[in-house]
Amino acid sequence: MTRSVWKGPFVDGYLLNKAEASRQSSRNEIIKIWSRRSTILPQFVGLTFGVYNGHKFLPVQVNENMVGHKFGEFSPTRNFTGHSGDKKAKRG
Amino acid sequence: MSRVPDHILMAVVGRPHGVRGLVRVQCHAENPAKLPRYSPLLDDRGRAFRLRWQGAGIAELAEIVDGKPLKLADRAAAERLVNLKLYVERSRLPTPDPDEFYLADLVGLAAVADDGRELGRVEAVHDHGAGTFLEIGRLLVPFTRAAVPDVDIAAGRVTVVLPSEVLGEKPAEAAA
Repeated sequence: MTRSVWKGPFVDGYLLNKAEASRQSSRNEIIKIWSRRSTILPQFVGLTFGVYNGHKFLPVQVNENMVGHKFGEFSPTRNFTGHSGDKKAKRG
Repeated sequence: MSRVPDHILMAVVGRPHGVRGLVRVQCHAENPAKLPRYSPLLDDRGRAFRLRWQGAGIAELAEIVDGKPLKLADRAAAERLVNLKLYVERSRLPTPDPDEFYLADLVGLAAVADDGRELGRVEAVHDHGAGTFLEIGRLLVPFTRAAVPDVDIAAGRVTVVLPSEVLGEKPAEAAA
C-alpha cells in the first residue's frame, strides 16, 4: 500500500539539519548517513551523501531526478563488477 | 595465453546457437549494437575475427585469414570457440568528450592527494545511478571536479582532494 499523502514524505529529521549545515558551508564534503529509508527531498539536490550499505558509505550525488526516491535505492548492498569494455565515466 | 596490455576485453564467445555456426556472445561494450564497428576483434593468439549480430546476443563470427573472412562452417567449429575472449586495441576506441574518460583508462591510475601524499591506485569505477565514484583502496571518492580536479592519463595519475566527512547521527543517537 502506498503511503498516505497527508503524511508527507518520510525523512529522518536529523538529515534536514545536516543537509542545511552542509549547504551553508558549500564545501567539498560527504554527509555520512545510515538512513537508507529516508526520501530524497528537493533541498538535498546538489549535495553528496555517503549512504551506508552495510559495509561502506557509497557516495550518492543527489540530482533533481532522484527527488522522491529513497537513499537506499542508490547504495546497493550487493555489488557486481563486470568488465569495463568501452564504457565511459563523465566527471560531474 | 594472457592478453596484450593495450587490448580491452569487449566480448566473450558463449555456447553455439543452432547448426550453422552461430554463437552466443556476451558483450561488454557500452552499446552492443556498436560492437561490429570495432571489427576486426582480436583474440589472445592474435587471430582477427569479424562479428555480425544475427539476433539478441547471437552473432555470426568469421575469422579473417589473409584479409578474407571465413565464416564458421558448422556447430562443431562454433564449439571450438567457446570462451574465446575478443579484444579491441585501445587506440581504436574513439576519443571521448571533454571530461569523459574510459573506465579502462581510469582503472590502475595512481591516486595522489593534493598535498602529494600517495593514496593508492584506482581499483574500480562504480556508478549506481547517483554519480560516478572511484574506489581507491578503502576510499570511495566522488568523481567530481571538486574531489578529482586533475586526471592525467598520460602521466598515469589522478589528483584527489579528499572530501571532508560530516557524520550524520547513527539511528540510536537520533532516537535518543
